[in-house]
Amino acid sequence: MANGVETIQRATEPVPRRPHSDSGWADRLFRSTLRGGGFLVLLVMSLVGGFLAYRAWEALSEAGTSFLTTETWEPDVGEFGIAAVITGTAMIAAVAIAIAVPLALGTALYISEYAPPRLRRTLVSLVDLMAAVPSVVYGLWGLFFLQGEIVGLARWISTYFGWFPPFDVTGADPRDPLATATVYTASTFIAGLVVALMVAPIICSIMREVFSQTPVGEREGALALGATRWGVISSVVLPFGRGGMIGGTMLGLGRALGETIGVYMIISPVFDIQWHVLQTGGNSVSALIALRYGEATSFGMSALMAAGLALFVVTLIVNFAASSIVARSRSGAESDS
Amino acid sequence: MITARARSALTAVALALSLLLAAGTPSASGATYARISGAGSTWSENALRSWSTDVSQYGMPVQYAGTGSSDGRNQFREGNVDFAVSEIPYGLRDLGRLDTPPRRGYAYMPIVAGGTAFMYNLTINGRRVTNLRLSGEVITRIFTGVITQWNDPRIAEDNPGLALPARRIIPVVRSDGSGTTAQFTTWMAETHGGLWNDYCRAAGQRTPCGMTSNYPVVSGRGFIAQNGSLGVSGYVRQNYAEGAITYVEYSYASNANFPVAKVLNASNYYVEPTASAVAVSLLNARINEDEGSSQYLTQNLDGVYRSDDRRSYPLSSYSYMIIPTDLSRPLTEDKGRTLSAFANYFLCEGQQDAEELGYSPLPINLVQAGFDQVRRIPGAETEGIDIRECRNPTFSTDGTNTLAENAPYPPDCDRRGETQCATGTGGARNPTDNSGNGGGGSGGGGSGDTGGSTASGGSGGAGGSGDTGGPGATGGAGGESGGDAATGDSGADAAAGGTDGGGVIDPETGEYLDADGGAGGAQQVIGTPVAVGAESFWGLRTALMMVTALLVVGVIVGPPVLARYLAGRDRRRTGAGTA
Repeated sequence: MANGVETIQRATEPVPRRPHSDSGWADRLFRSTLRGGGFLVLLVMSLVGGFLAYRAWEALSEAGTSFLTTETWEPDVGEFGIAAVITGTAMIAAVAIAIAVPLALGTALYISEYAPPRLRRTLVSLVDLMAAVPSVVYGLWGLFFLQGEIVGLARWISTYFGWFPPFDVTGADPRDPLATATVYTASTFIAGLVVALMVAPIICSIMREVFSQTPVGEREGALALGATRWGVISSVVLPFGRGGMIGGTMLGLGRALGETIGVYMIISPVFDIQWHVLQTGGNSVSALIALRYGEATSFGMSALMAAGLALFVVTLIVNFAASSIVARSRSGAESDS
Repeated sequence: MITARARSALTAVALALSLLLAAGTPSASGATYARISGAGSTWSENALRSWSTDVSQYGMPVQYAGTGSSDGRNQFREGNVDFAVSEIPYGLRDLGRLDTPPRRGYAYMPIVAGGTAFMYNLTINGRRVTNLRLSGEVITRIFTGVITQWNDPRIAEDNPGLALPARRIIPVVRSDGSGTTAQFTTWMAETHGGLWNDYCRAAGQRTPCGMTSNYPVVSGRGFIAQNGSLGVSGYVRQNYAEGAITYVEYSYASNANFPVAKVLNASNYYVEPTASAVAVSLLNARINEDEGSSQYLTQNLDGVYRSDDRRSYPLSSYSYMIIPTDLSRPLTEDKGRTLSAFANYFLCEGQQDAEELGYSPLPINLVQAGFDQVRRIPGAETEGIDIRECRNPTFSTDGTNTLAENAPYPPDCDRRGETQCATGTGGARNPTDNSGNGGGGSGGGGSGDTGGSTASGGSGGAGGSGDTGGPGATGGAGGESGGDAATGDSGADAAAGGTDGGGVIDPETGEYLDADGGAGGAQQVIGTPVAVGAESFWGLRTALMMVTALLVVGVIVGPPVLARYLAGRDRRRTGAGTA
């Protein structure tokens, strides 16, 4: 619209371009509302961060740098740190992303490129439905159904790929028929799997959105040059959607880092850095907070706030990284041209 | 037309509503209750849930969140809930940390008794064990990671009738702050302090450890931590959790249809935490009778742990409701009235359901004291409740505890020694065949040679001698040795039958079992699982798996590669043709 007006202006008389055309109070009101909304988001974010930092100060000042290196969580005897929980959080998120991204990518490509139009609508609403399922439902399902079914897979992986250190499970002997299967339960892997199912729909819908915005011209150009459908995907859709794919992954990662109740229900919390993803025991910052806030003393609460602050900072970094990647990629900037 | 019809429909609905309201008003005006909410113990959650469902018919909206006793006490202290339920009072030291009492006025009121039970998931030869017995020391050693295998001789000593498998024990503990954990650790610290302190030290706690609401978990010992009573019992009941054992209120095991361990008491009997066993033990609980004390009505369970009544269950305790006694936020007069009405209900009528729910009803002195506490709630309904009308199974005319008076004495097979009752426990009432006992249950698996050749695990008589409990029973050759090896008292006649290689007389029914007939097939065959010889990594199985993997890859990759190759050859040929 504005472009059209400018074009007409340029055509009639050669005046310099005026990007900030002020067209009355309606525009001004609208702009200030938007600006206010934007600032409000920033304000809320900084208030959250400020509140966390303020409440965490008591604990942080006592713990000092040992807060980053201590594994145990005993704030009432002065020994607490996030080394174990933040590693656990990262590992659960890594497992979740490793499973969710291929799943979401495949789903998004199928929906946007292959599915017949009628099926496409159904699939889109199914994926949206998956995103709408509350995480406690995923948690219950994971605890009472998935865990029992997935133990066999975990055992198989650890038996045949146990030479790769993260897949090793101490205390498991695959040759002993009486060996317990519990060493494979309540693990980072199972928690990550449940989180993967929660984040996959988000990643999928972002990817689908980006793929569907691939310029039709380029698509048709590729087809005209004799590309197969897969050729179009690999040479046009995927390169175009790379930014969106990374952005969606990062957003999923952000949610995976903060996922609480699913992890809380499944994992058997340990306060050690536990590298074996298939082995029982793990932890995450949000599960720690959910577990301990109920009985925390005021200092313990401050320590939990400090853990929350650490998670907040990590999530912020991840999201900023995501937005900068998306901003530098093609898909965001030129998709509507 | 449509509007007219809609209007008439609306009128009808309005009429019906007004009629309903008119009908409902008189009864509702007498009993409009404010919504009250509580949080805390999952130990007594099953009872509270049942009671709050019951009172909803009187229009009493009671919400209860089983979030753990620690959380309940904390929320009550913060003024988030109207009442809390906890197994332990405020003011205790938890691993050196003081649990500070709230500033708002509060009082304790016992609500129900029960036993902290040990629910387990164990099978022998695919049949669920329902009659496990454990001594207090063995339990402590299990939950401190000292005993790690079910076939440990110390467990076998408690269970002469069971050929326990060489399975790992998986102790499942609570990950959240829990009154059940507090009760259990108090008992361990009190009765087996040395073992408990050793464990605490390994978990990086200061010793002496004392009680704690947060079970310390030492990484790498195979412990599983889950949150909530439902979490731990739900974990134990899963198929994959074989070998798991947890501590949880008796009702959870009953609801899950799982057995609980009988625990050895001070007079050498193994007892199940039934309502009557709990009632008997709690005769020895010392209740703080000093009305001026802030700990009024709280329990001291030392006497319970060491009760010498042979019917008593050592881990019995009361659960408490923490009630507000002043009008600080969030309590109002209306809420106080609801809370008192709710309390009057469960102290009286609710106690009738206790046994059915897996708890034990309160004795008359605590019910009386409870009613006195209820009067301290602001806005309480104080109209007289005739305590004689309560039909509480513990009440009697002479003030004694009827339930405890009439509690059955445990059978002789529950005495520590060489016999073991086969009857089931908890929610699993089916008996367990005593597989380790010479004559137990199955009455032999036919004649010696057929037993050895057909049944992989040998016959029931193969469990070895009755007195050792047969931890060394390895099946396989069982059939032949079965008859000769069985030397247990009850197995004597079966052994006599077994030695001649002919028929066997069932020790329970006295029925003659034909040896070479269908007896072996009709009877269940008890086999003891054994560890098979180590299989090398590059065995047949691995080779087959690799072949399968190659085939799958071939099926996926093969056709396109072949197609491309063929197409290329065609192109080359046509190219050559035109050139």
